[in-house]
Amino acid sequence: MSEQSYNEKLGQGVGFERIRRITGYLVGTMDKWNDAKRAEEHDRVKHGLSVHA
Amino acid sequence: MIRSIIKRDGRKVLYDQAKIARAILKAMEATGEGDAESAARVANAVESHLESDRLSDAPGIEYIQDAVEKELMNYGFNETAKAYILYRANRTRAREANTSLMHTIDEITQVDAKASDLKRDNANIDGNTAMGSMLQIGAAGAKSYNEMYLLRKEHAKAFREGYLYIHDFDFYSLTTTCTQIDILKLFHGGFSTGHGYLREPQSIQSYAALAAIAIQSNQNDQHGGQSIPNFDYGMAEGVGKSYRRNYINILTDVVEDACDTEDLKDRIKAAVETVERNAAETVGLGNGPEFDAQMAEDLAVRFPALQGQDIAHFLTRVRKRAYKLTDHETYQAMEGFVHNLNTMHSRAGAQTPFSSINYGTDITPEGRMAMRNILLALDAGLGHGETCIFPIHIFKVKEGVNYNPEDPNYDLFRLSCKVSARRLFPNFVFLDAPYNLQYYVPGRPETEVATMGCRTRVMGNVYDPTREISYSRGNLSFSSINLVRLALEANHDEKVFYEKLDWMLELTAQQLLDRFEIQAAKHVYNFPFLMGQGVWLDSEKLANSDEIRDVLKHGTLSIGFIGLAETLTALYGKHHGESEEIQQKGLEIIGHMRDFCNKKSQAMKMNFTLLATPAEGLSGKFVRQDQQRFGKIPGITDREYYTNSFHIPVWFPISAYDKIRLEGPYHALCNAGHISYVEMDGDTSKNIEAFEQVVRWMHDCGVGYGSINHPVDRDPVCGYVGVIGDVCPRCGRREGEQIPQELVEKLRRMYPEMPAFQGIM
Repeated sequence: MSEQSYNEKLGQGVGFERIRRITGYLVGTMDKWNDAKRAEEHDRVKHGLSVHA
Repeated sequence: MIRSIIKRDGRKVLYDQAKIARAILKAMEATGEGDAESAARVANAVESHLESDRLSDAPGIEYIQDAVEKELMNYGFNETAKAYILYRANRTRAREANTSLMHTIDEITQVDAKASDLKRDNANIDGNTAMGSMLQIGAAGAKSYNEMYLLRKEHAKAFREGYLYIHDFDFYSLTTTCTQIDILKLFHGGFSTGHGYLREPQSIQSYAALAAIAIQSNQNDQHGGQSIPNFDYGMAEGVGKSYRRNYINILTDVVEDACDTEDLKDRIKAAVETVERNAAETVGLGNGPEFDAQMAEDLAVRFPALQGQDIAHFLTRVRKRAYKLTDHETYQAMEGFVHNLNTMHSRAGAQTPFSSINYGTDITPEGRMAMRNILLALDAGLGHGETCIFPIHIFKVKEGVNYNPEDPNYDLFRLSCKVSARRLFPNFVFLDAPYNLQYYVPGRPETEVATMGCRTRVMGNVYDPTREISYSRGNLSFSSINLVRLALEANHDEKVFYEKLDWMLELTAQQLLDRFEIQAAKHVYNFPFLMGQGVWLDSEKLANSDEIRDVLKHGTLSIGFIGLAETLTALYGKHHGESEEIQQKGLEIIGHMRDFCNKKSQAMKMNFTLLATPAEGLSGKFVRQDQQRFGKIPGITDREYYTNSFHIPVWFPISAYDKIRLEGPYHALCNAGHISYVEMDGDTSKNIEAFEQVVRWMHDCGVGYGSINHPVDRDPVCGYVGVIGDVCPRCGRREGEQIPQELVEKLRRMYPEMPAFQGIM
């Protein structure tokens, strides 16, 4: 069923999509990621833009 | 008296001494010791042996085989005994592999992908679908066969025990990894997909449609990603054809109106062709005023009814309208291309092709129009504004072309930063990095480095130094070394580590050569598109039944690695993000590996290259094995994954600038492919200046290929794209919550691009 099946309830039960990059290409849902890659994504820290972190 | 024996499956069958004799004779023939008579003698001895033991009236197979070994040695057939033992061990391994294959297929068939890591090995294959499962079953069978029958024992052992990872092992005996498809060469004169012949395209719409078909067709001949290195130059030709056609059509309309007549198309065409001949240039977006002046002159002579009218003025109008129409058609063509690549299926419908397109350096107005529109289509997203997963867009950054404000394509570089800050693509490849610049020849786009898939790169060519180009070549296969294992085994001893590394490098090179032998013995007809249509370099010179050995040598054999950070921690107590001294150690290790590849290339006259392995399936495999053997060592084996290639660990706090500065030098060493990522916080689309500064820093630090990660979330209900924390900034709902009808209607007025839902319209 497409997202249109949620229509009448206007969003009830509809999650947010979170696109992430995995070894160079994008994946729309992390459901299909393997366990190690999920752990790696979870551990990623942001890189500050100052010269010293 | 032995009357019966127990088979492995538990069945009792009649004892037959001749069978034992036959097995012994076979082993003797293999070693050249003994003959039928001596085989019978040993078989007799085995029987007395079994009877004297009298353990059971019906001995088991294993027990009988033990007796055969002993008696062979008793009679002095030592070589035969050894061969017999090896044969038994192999048979045991085959039986075990068979059982494990059945278990694997059982898991593929019975378990949901959510619960099965095996089925999520490749995030691009949906392991829950029928075709996805069939692919996985095929892969499992092929892997089992390949390990049993195609690998040397030492390679199989290194693979099994987690020293070495042979990528795309399911395709070991079948094909090669990837190719940069020169789309212009393919289009000129038309091509065949294997299912039908396509004429040379004549408009930007068909250029874009056929480009998608080319990617899809080639995808079925190779196991890796597919890439177009010259998307800008390729599409430019289509834009040019569309513009010329639109120009002639609009000019026809205008002249027909002015002359108050019809059916002037052929005469207008003749006029255009005459002027084109005299001016020695075709109608295009870049024609100068001189061209239009000639056109006006010709028209005035040809159509006396136009006399007294301002022909120059209406030619300007024609150009404006032709531009607008062509621009519109180009956008639609680019939008269609992106939609196509996100929805088309290949490989039995279980996968979307892994596709990449490179562009950035074509400075013709046609090429620029194509690029601007592909970027705008990428920015707009799919039907409901979803971020496009494919193709990977790669923007080629070059000083003098698009890097500096005075450069002709600087506007497109800026646009690519803006789009990437919102959609994660394009990535950036840097042609000014010295190791890329050495190949660059202005005016010859095939000398510009292009990447494919997530990082693969092919430029140097030891086999044919006159062909150091990116077009029509690619990787043949790659295998990755578990550097961390070697470091752990070396137990802080640098010298031991390097000895082990040299051993693994030799072993890996040999394994790649073995695989090459299998690939090289294939024929053109095994690759109807890749070789049959001349996509691969020099394949057009081969006949259908020719071996592809020699032309394949334009490709690369790549040695990859994973976990430099953990390796350094294991050897020296710190990784390269923590100390400049350790950074030097890291560069020494990777430099050592690159030297090996260079020497091997010279020795074999083949392209051995060093790869910063893209580790998706691999990221957790080695570490699981190393945890079993070494336990969880902090900073080394205590996570579920090893750090990708030479990267600074994802969990290590470091500034974007330091990360890029430290990773840059490794790009120069990893000539088979490399990429650096930076993770930026917040909504980068609101801070494009900062985004561009990071890209420029990559350029300055000698990065070859780089990309910036940032959160891209989307609320499918209101269509918002950007960063979404717990609450959607546009409609204010939390995940799973519904929103009131009135709010939807209000939002729809503010954001007409909102997805349409039944009941909301």
